[in-house]
Amino acid sequence: MSTVLDQIEQQIAKLSTKAVKKNTGNIRTIADGVAKIDGLSDVMYNEMVAFPGGAIGIALNLEETEVGCVILGDVSKLKEGDEVTTTGKLLSVPVGKALLGRVVDALGNAVDGKGPIDAKETYPVERIAPGIMARKSVNQPLFTGIMAIDSMIPIGRGQRELIIGDRGTGKTTIAIDTIINQAKINKVGLASGDAKFRPVYSIYVAIGQKSSNIVRTVAALEAAGALEYTIIVAATAADNPANQYIAPYSGAAMGEWFMENGMDALIVYDDLSKHAVAYRQISLILKRPSGREAYPGDVFYLHSRLLERAARLDGKGSLTALPIIETLAGDVSAYIPTNVISITDGQIFLETDLFNQGIRPAVSVGLSVSRVGSSAQIKATKQVGGKLKGELAQFRELAAFAQFGSDLDAKTKAQLERGARIVELFKQPAFSPAAIELQVSILFAMQKGFFDPIDAKKVVAAAANMKNFFTTRKDALLTEIRNKAALDKDLEAKLQAACDEWKSGYTA
Amino acid sequence: MAAAAKQAQQLARQLFKLSVVDNVISTDRVAGVLAYVEKHAPANAVLVLKAYHRLIAVELAKSEARVEHAGTVAPAALAAIAAAMSKKYSRPITTTARAHPALLAGLRVRVGDDVYESSVSGQLAALALSV
Repeated sequence: MSTVLDQIEQQIAKLSTKAVKKNTGNIRTIADGVAKIDGLSDVMYNEMVAFPGGAIGIALNLEETEVGCVILGDVSKLKEGDEVTTTGKLLSVPVGKALLGRVVDALGNAVDGKGPIDAKETYPVERIAPGIMARKSVNQPLFTGIMAIDSMIPIGRGQRELIIGDRGTGKTTIAIDTIINQAKINKVGLASGDAKFRPVYSIYVAIGQKSSNIVRTVAALEAAGALEYTIIVAATAADNPANQYIAPYSGAAMGEWFMENGMDALIVYDDLSKHAVAYRQISLILKRPSGREAYPGDVFYLHSRLLERAARLDGKGSLTALPIIETLAGDVSAYIPTNVISITDGQIFLETDLFNQGIRPAVSVGLSVSRVGSSAQIKATKQVGGKLKGELAQFRELAAFAQFGSDLDAKTKAQLERGARIVELFKQPAFSPAAIELQVSILFAMQKGFFDPIDAKKVVAAAANMKNFFTTRKDALLTEIRNKAALDKDLEAKLQAACDEWKSGYTA
Repeated sequence: MAAAAKQAQQLARQLFKLSVVDNVISTDRVAGVLAYVEKHAPANAVLVLKAYHRLIAVELAKSEARVEHAGTVAPAALAAIAAAMSKKYSRPITTTARAHPALLAGLRVRVGDDVYESSVSGQLAALALSV
């Protein structure tokens, strides 16, 4: 007992007996996670302030007579007149590999019941994006495992690629598929012992989502063995808007740690529409002037300063961002979608009509684009899929034209048949990304006409059969494609032979 | 309403400037300002006076060190605090003492928004946060 008392006494003695200066204020009003505070004359913009009961806030509005703060954490016990003190610090979150496999809140506290996180470092939540000189051009691929994307809308490490579409069109599924694919690649790469292999760690930021959805996502990642390479930052719909506002910045700080330490990371913001809504709520309570659709004037800066933090740094790592935006009735010309489209380096547009027709992932090839283009593709993909986007666009045009009459020449008919098969080939079930070498093999078979004799409706089954054939019987060939990353004459001959072998054994 | 509050704030700021002589609130000037407001009754006089009151209160708090103490505090200690604070803030600061048994032992000095914590309860609170 006396030992315990000694320990406490020693701890008390350790504390300085000098007077500690604090700058204080008092809560004047508090509502919806936002407090107006009298005093705090020394507070700095974006400084953390301490509320009674351990809650913390961020000073966002510095006015002549009061300070407006958003409160992170439990606000239920705070009341008018409570004393608030400045901390002299910017809001920081824990960073590092200790967070991998964990679900954390916007402040980096574990919420998965797996105990505290042993993080050695913290990074400030708000950080200036890397400048021009520190950056390097994006030319390393980041494979999503989705054939339609990897072959036609390639994403590079350090790129910002928007995933946009109506609700229920498979936006989150694409993001989760990408995370799962990174985990698969990491496992293969790390097992190979290749010193040059650079794993990609993922951060999934859930903003304003139902808790049940987040649980489902965690379960999907766990089932695919991807959780160990992933950090999940959860700011659910039940969290106050301040937490939803800060969550993407916290996720970005966690991603920046990987980038700054020579590693590659992928961050998914799911979704920035809800983020903008949370910020609008905060701004309106702070009585900031509102503009279009009642959003504050700095809503563009809200997203641009976040997405600019994604980069590929010279001599260091990269942070790739996949922001998600939900549109209403396919309206991409709304305020927030146009903002984020203009900030990002391309977009993957998902269409409800395609989704309802059973074309999943429902990627609209015409409206989707990657501004990084083929520089983020391996040579093998360029060789087999370089003309795909053009062929599909031609198919769409012809298909629309063919509706007016049935008299079509043989060439047009052939183009339509081929287009229909490409569309079928790109159908892919959720949570089953395909390795790039497998994609190359399938596209090679497509290019060489192996799917032409098969009825268009049976192409999906044939492609699945072919994938199974390659993974179970042609593993050495797939490894060779992966390692060479380009198709030479020898590899082409081997692929041709493998496809012939598959064809001889396949019955539709 | 917002425009009226802004106008009232501007007028209150002007009245406040008139009430300060050599960085100190002048009682005579404040009385003069109040007499002027009573006689001329500006628009939104209540808002103006509330804003004026707030500005004066904030300024007065900067010139006063409120010493909270547990147990007794010697007049010499209060004088020393007044001298130290006057030097620190480069303005004459007076002290007022108030017993606060919840501090357990020690002092807490408040000058405007700044609080100087040197009490046992403050140290225990810091200990609780650090554990």
